[in-house]
Amino acid sequence: MMAVNFEHFSYAYPNSGVVLDDITLDIPVGSFTVITGPSGAGKTSLALAITGVVPHYFGGRQGGAVQIGGITSAQSSMGELAEQVGTVLADYESQLVALTVAEEVAFGLETSGFNRSQIAERVSQALMLVGLAGLEEREVAGLSGGQKQRLAIAAVLVTAPDILVLDEPASALDPEGAAGIYELLHTLNCQGKTVVVVEHQLARVLPYASQVVVLQAGSLQFAGDLRQTLAFMWQQPELRLGVPPMWAIKLTLEEQTGLSLGDWKTEEQAATELNKLTRTCAEGVAKSA
Amino acid sequence: MPKLAPLTKLILTAAVSVWALLIPTLTGQMALAAGQLLLLAFYRPTGKHWQAVSGLALFAALLAAIQYVFGSGLEFSLMSGLKMFVMSLVFVFMLATTRLQDLTAALVSQCRIPYEYAFMFTSALRFVPDFLEESQAVREAQACRGYVFRGNPLKRLMDYVAIVEPLVLRAVSRSETMAMSLELRGFGRKGRRQFTADVALSSPDYVAMIFMLVLTIGLAIV
Ligand SMILES: Nc1ncnc2c1ncn2[C@@H]1O[C@H](COP(=O)(O)OP(=O)(O)OP(=O)(O)O)[C@@H](O)[C@H]1O
Ligand SMILES: [Mg+2]
Repeated sequence: MMAVNFEHFSYAYPNSGVVLDDITLDIPVGSFTVITGPSGAGKTSLALAITGVVPHYFGGRQGGAVQIGGITSAQSSMGELAEQVGTVLADYESQLVALTVAEEVAFGLETSGFNRSQIAERVSQALMLVGLAGLEEREVAGLSGGQKQRLAIAAVLVTAPDILVLDEPASALDPEGAAGIYELLHTLNCQGKTVVVVEHQLARVLPYASQVVVLQAGSLQFAGDLRQTLAFMWQQPELRLGVPPMWAIKLTLEEQTGLSLGDWKTEEQAATELNKLTRTCAEGVAKSA
Repeated sequence: MPKLAPLTKLILTAAVSVWALLIPTLTGQMALAAGQLLLLAFYRPTGKHWQAVSGLALFAALLAAIQYVFGSGLEFSLMSGLKMFVMSLVFVFMLATTRLQDLTAALVSQCRIPYEYAFMFTSALRFVPDFLEESQAVREAQACRGYVFRGNPLKRLMDYVAIVEPLVLRAVSRSETMAMSLELRGFGRKGRRQFTADVALSSPDYVAMIFMLVLTIGLAIV
């Protein structure tokens, strides 16, 4: 089952050249898909194509098609698509429009036909999910960057979309804040949401990514699981710098020694494997001596 | 003190202005001012609001003094100072005791102001703190690049362009994002809007409104 399906999709903004060129890509239901690539590669544009902002909000020219949960984006409105796709834009601060936390989350429900107590219940559920329970009456302007990011997520979660699309959700956060956001996304992913994130710092998503998509200059360079994609990026001189340091070590080791190491998703995993390796080395040295 | 609905306070604001125009005597105006201060005190406003009140009082006194200096009679000067105090005091009362979002809800659901306008109002306020923060950031960034805000007023004004330009560009990109996100969140969707703020009228509101009506009629007759 595919949550999103790009079929020979191409796109140009009204006054730009082609920014997405013949993209064919499947995003399975329940996957944690990461879109990566150099600056200006078209990552944001690809993410916006899932939400319908491209092409509905910007206009421009499009070729091919995007299917979201079985409906074709070009033939439905942004509002219809929003029922399936929750979007957190790169500039999430400007996405927040209400004065207080509770109102921000309630905003998307005001025209949904729920009554006041139903809205209040859903709002507190969504805030609980993102770890902002109890801050209902706080002013949005007074929140920290990480809290605002969580609030933006709560505000889209409240309408219960199946797919979440987030553009660089941790760009403005410190390492702990970033880790916190990705753990939250992982939890939501485990609860069945399909998660699509744009992220150029792959180290942040190593433990969670089930599919990594590499874009470069508007073309899809590669799509595969973590191991496949990082191995591919390692072979490409222009993409090599995007490989997280931990995997750079692993891939170099593999190249130099011919060993085959596991998928290093966490530092602990890497450390354990390296320890085992050095131990067998030491034993080998002791035996030969 | 009974909690009054925002609509009642909006009506009170209008009513007080009418009373201020109808009451012909100094003592009457003073009674009106005292009544409002008493009412305000009942709602336990913060120090900030008392500051606003004293600011208004000062301004009103100044107004009266200027009129007197320029040759108006004493009573006339005092009267216009007081009128201005009374009329503006009621706004302090309304803003001090009502949340802005409740006011919006009342304006839309009871006064039938289109939601888009009311929304524009609250969201503008939402961005004031961000805007101030940004202007500070831009100023610091420009200072880092060696921009010095000194010299004669004209030069300083010109220097401000260096701040305003990035701010405007940022505001434009912000409004773009906001428009996008509003569309994504079904802002334009038709259908009745269920506000989370409870602005329904209850018995104290009706009592207050009857009282206001009687007082207005009474003042108009005598
Ligand atoms: N609104 C727009 N109008 C015209 N061209 C645009 C618009 N937005 C983006 N572009 C162009 O489309 C191309 C891809 O931009 P996009 O924002 O998708 O890249 P990105 O991979 O997200 O980059 P970054 O990592 O910097 O966020 C760029 O060349 C950019 O100049
Ligand atoms: Mg981008």
